[in-house]
Amino acid sequence: MSSLFLIGDSDKKSSKSDGSNIQNSTFSKLLNFAPPFCISFHQFEVMAEPAYTVASDSETTGEEKSSSAFPEIAIGIDIGTSQCSVAIWNGSQVELLRNTRNQKLMRSYVTFKDEIPSGGVSYQLSHEHEMLSGAAIFNMKRLIGRVDTDPVVHASKSLPFLVQTLDIGVRPFIAALVNNIWRSTTPEEVLAIYLVELRVMAESRLKRPIRNVVLSIPVSFSRFQLTRIERACAMAGLHVLRLMPEPTAVALLYAQQQQQLIHDNMGSGSEKIALIFNMGAGYCDVAVTATAGGVSHIKALTGSTIGGEDFLQNMMRHLLPDYDNLFSSRGVNEIKSMGLLRVATQDAIHKLSFEESVQIDVDLGNGSRICRKVNREEFEEVNQKIFEKCESLVIQCLLDAKVQADDLTDVMVVGGCSYIPKLRNLVKSICKRELYKGMNPFEAAVSGTALEGAVASGISDPFGNLDLLTIQATPLGIGIRANGNSFVPIIPRNTTMPARKELVFTTVRDNQTEVLIVVYEGEALKAEENHLLGYFKITGLPPAPKGVPEINVCMDIDASNVLRVLAGVVLPGSQQPVVPVMEVRMPTVDDGHGWCAEALHRAYGSNLDLVTVQKK
Amino acid sequence: MLSSLHISTSLSVSSISPPSTPRARFRPPQATATCASSYTAQQEKGSTSSYLSRPGMATCTSLYEVLGIPVGASNQEIKAAYRRLARVCHPDVAAIDRKDSSADEFMKIHAAYSTLSDPQKRAVYDRKNFLRVQRPLTSDSRFSGYRGRSWETDQCW
Repeated sequence: MSSLFLIGDSDKKSSKSDGSNIQNSTFSKLLNFAPPFCISFHQFEVMAEPAYTVASDSETTGEEKSSSAFPEIAIGIDIGTSQCSVAIWNGSQVELLRNTRNQKLMRSYVTFKDEIPSGGVSYQLSHEHEMLSGAAIFNMKRLIGRVDTDPVVHASKSLPFLVQTLDIGVRPFIAALVNNIWRSTTPEEVLAIYLVELRVMAESRLKRPIRNVVLSIPVSFSRFQLTRIERACAMAGLHVLRLMPEPTAVALLYAQQQQQLIHDNMGSGSEKIALIFNMGAGYCDVAVTATAGGVSHIKALTGSTIGGEDFLQNMMRHLLPDYDNLFSSRGVNEIKSMGLLRVATQDAIHKLSFEESVQIDVDLGNGSRICRKVNREEFEEVNQKIFEKCESLVIQCLLDAKVQADDLTDVMVVGGCSYIPKLRNLVKSICKRELYKGMNPFEAAVSGTALEGAVASGISDPFGNLDLLTIQATPLGIGIRANGNSFVPIIPRNTTMPARKELVFTTVRDNQTEVLIVVYEGEALKAEENHLLGYFKITGLPPAPKGVPEINVCMDIDASNVLRVLAGVVLPGSQQPVVPVMEVRMPTVDDGHGWCAEALHRAYGSNLDLVTVQKK
Repeated sequence: MLSSLHISTSLSVSSISPPSTPRARFRPPQATATCASSYTAQQEKGSTSSYLSRPGMATCTSLYEVLGIPVGASNQEIKAAYRRLARVCHPDVAAIDRKDSSADEFMKIHAAYSTLSDPQKRAVYDRKNFLRVQRPLTSDSRFSGYRGRSWETDQCW
């Protein structure tokens, strides 16, 4: 019991708004099938190392900056769709931590094959196919925080484990196949198990307890998804200092490298503008940063849920047009065949980065065999839409940053897809630049998070290598539903953070006494096509003709990236708000809220609607 | 109608003195971050209600003064001043007890920077600023005590 308490201690704050029942049950589930982790938690109580007990009730976060004699340096974690890595500032440089098998990059999966689930940090796959037996859950990053109407969840249904959707806007059902039983789990739980392994690994390498982390996240993640990541971290006993959009982590590494060049008298101190293109297995992100003097000012961010997984699925369907039919039944044999095809296709895609053509020969075991040559052109043609999307992300990012290709100093292509020739060429041709060679494309993001971890922990470096600052921008617009069913952004995308903006709205009906504020995040013009963050009513408006009450909606993103929505009503000529101001911390939605917007509409129609007030 | 709304300022944040260097590793600021004009900020954003926003710095200073640069400063100088101030005032580097005010302070600095670094916006601002008659703002506040909660957590639920 007390161990439960200890694990939960990092999320005391959460329990205020979070159904703690849900949380406890998730914890106990985690504990039930995770005895080894229990043991490590158990040590907390028995050994009571002082460092483990620092997180007392009274302490809040923000303590990180306090200068103790031995400040704890936060580790940086890159949770990839396909691979994960951990890095730390070791006092003079960033160092990637290796697991017991000497790997710096570890596969992202958790297998439920044994009584105790184990992840890619500690577990040794006997063969790649083992990951595809149905007993392992992977691609968590693509599933976390998504509802079952999300196309990305639907695309995940062709993975060997079970992704079941009811298509009503609730959390999808996810399960691993163990001894012919589908055992259910959640993306948060899978991620938490994996993070515990990472933490244990880092603790044994660094010989000290780990609590604070900086994680990299995709640009396109909604604030709701961020809360899921934070919850998974809390379940794993980790406290999130920062969540950094992946390309901004790379930008920070770049900023540090430029500083070092100046230090070595090899660079100039003038402002450098860089474009970072980061594509992994699950997500593609682009950032434009302006860097000088160790300050990385993020000018623009764009991102989308496209990645290596899409290349792979398109290719599998190309090689086996009957793919979806064949694997719809999902018996043990079908899963096995699917796994064989997946491994063969993945292998071919890797080879096509370095060879013009590759021979595929795979026996699917069900009587069908694929034996053919695939060339690079074919691969590029099959995935043309993805490449076009990548192109548009780069162009959009330059446009948003108000930067011309000619203004760029450096261009970086990083992430798991960075060796695909077509991707490199398209970025090069848009940016009219050769690619920057100064960083390892697979380690850039995690290195950036480790730098941010050190900076956010208040560590300083005598050589000035940590004199760094990232000025972040909002990756998605935040606004409310108004003017019918439109999304009206209040804080637009790419606004420098911290930020505070407000807009004035008014009623649509005479004597309208209530208005409904529905907060969304995203870019779509229609409100419901964006991510719902929460909603609340303002009641008690005095009767007045439509268009008269002034409803001010203010959005505030503070230094800790916490979003608050404030709303107040005044009548013309009055100085005082007529009803108390509402202040709501967002997101307020919990799991399975896809139906909320619809339910609200059913309940209220357009009775509580708002319209924007035209500037006069 | 909207312009008839009184612009009020909150009393919670007083004018900010040149920040003491929060951590030794940062160069001391050469320019000081004073406060921006809420009047001009209002003009820029076209926003009307200040009762929701908590910054409210009563003194009227020009955007140039916010960045600590001369009126004729070059684009280079504007950028350099912005970065220099960010190194001191950004909440990520400000001391823990100043987080709240540093966010406001940084937003002022950024607003000044984004206006002055854009040649068009700067031209518009310069024109208005030249014509503008300095008038003192009343400091009555409808919400003088109103502030956002300030639990400083990175972890939000």
